[in-house]
Amino acid sequence: MNKKKHILLVEDNRDDVDLTIMALEKCDIVNEVKVARDGDEALSMLYDTEEEPELPVLVLLDINMPKINGFEVLKEIRGNERTRRLPVVILTSSREVQDIHRGYDLGANSYIRKPVGFESFVEAVRNLGRYWLKWNESPV
Amino acid sequence: MESWLLIIRNVHDETILYEQLNQALQEIRKLNASLEQKVKDRTRELEATNRELEAFAYSVSHDLRAPLRGIDGFSLALLEKYGDQLDHKGKDYLNRIRAATRKMGSLIDDILSLSRIATASLQKKPVDITVMSRDIFQSLREKEPERAAEMHISDDVKVTGDPGLLRVAMQNLIDNAWKFSSQQDVIRIDIARERNGSETRIAIRDNGVGFNMKYYNKLFTMFQRLHSGREFPGTGIGLATVQRIVNRHSGRLWAESEVGKGSAFYMVLPDHTETSQE
Repeated sequence: MNKKKHILLVEDNRDDVDLTIMALEKCDIVNEVKVARDGDEALSMLYDTEEEPELPVLVLLDINMPKINGFEVLKEIRGNERTRRLPVVILTSSREVQDIHRGYDLGANSYIRKPVGFESFVEAVRNLGRYWLKWNESPV
Repeated sequence: MESWLLIIRNVHDETILYEQLNQALQEIRKLNASLEQKVKDRTRELEATNRELEAFAYSVSHDLRAPLRGIDGFSLALLEKYGDQLDHKGKDYLNRIRAATRKMGSLIDDILSLSRIATASLQKKPVDITVMSRDIFQSLREKEPERAAEMHISDDVKVTGDPGLLRVAMQNLIDNAWKFSSQQDVIRIDIARERNGSETRIAIRDNGVGFNMKYYNKLFTMFQRLHSGREFPGTGIGLATVQRIVNRHSGRLWAESEVGKGSAFYMVLPDHTETSQE
């Protein structure tokens, strides 16, 4: 049902981009993955096009990024009529309480701390995919 | 006549004495004021250092973990995609890289939680150590159901302290008791509330391998281990964490042991009722 819709991965670290795509592939998640290399790029991919761009089924959002960070992107997404219901999962290294609180306060749907071990990361991505791409009723 | 003179001299002396006293008093006040200022300055300095440490821990959590994920993930990718081009030794090296990466990941996590303990604000409440310990023990049993283990704890172990921090402390102590007794046929952990003179202590005893008191000064030091990682895995941060939690409560922590005869850990936490009597 959601298979054609893409996932927007907002991540500035190239290794993390590759690892996340590797993990998605491992979990047989076939949705196209569009990558924004920082918050600025994410915002232009969501808003700055001639015709209204198709919205992703899910946004995987890193926090620590140069220029515009993940929190600012999230704020923008929630503040915009067209994107405010978009499922956003924060996918980050931090487990600091202030980051978790801030993420939820700004309207994140979920907060996942990327584990160091790749197998655990694959497991997290598998659950993410199952939940958000299979079972969850998408608002889009 | 003479007695009058004596009185006058006495009054004169008293006036001098009074002036001297007054001067001394003023000096004490001045000293007090400068001392207070000093305390304020020091506190501000310490608070600044604390904030710096927090910022440091924060950046550690972000910046050191990311490369580790890369090392582990790409090592696994090598193994899976190019494994057929590697011999046994090559694969073994990659697996060792991965094991070391995970080890470093858990070290980072431990350092982080230790630094959180140092800066977390203390919320003191009545804490039921009995219930807490049974809960911790139960989850250890569930994790290793094949182990024979028993724990004895009296119903009355109650203290005043921060519930979250005390759980971390008890978790570490009971984990240790379990881990270092794992070579016994039956793991035996005893927790008791004991009266020792004017203070009440919590004693946590096990029937494990114990340790040599010669190395006691290393017991509560970060990253210091008294057993090899092959024998008993660990990062060497557990007891340093417990020590820090007890310090935050202005309590005392110590241990007694003998090789092969189990260990005993003792914890004294100042209690509300006891401090109000002082």
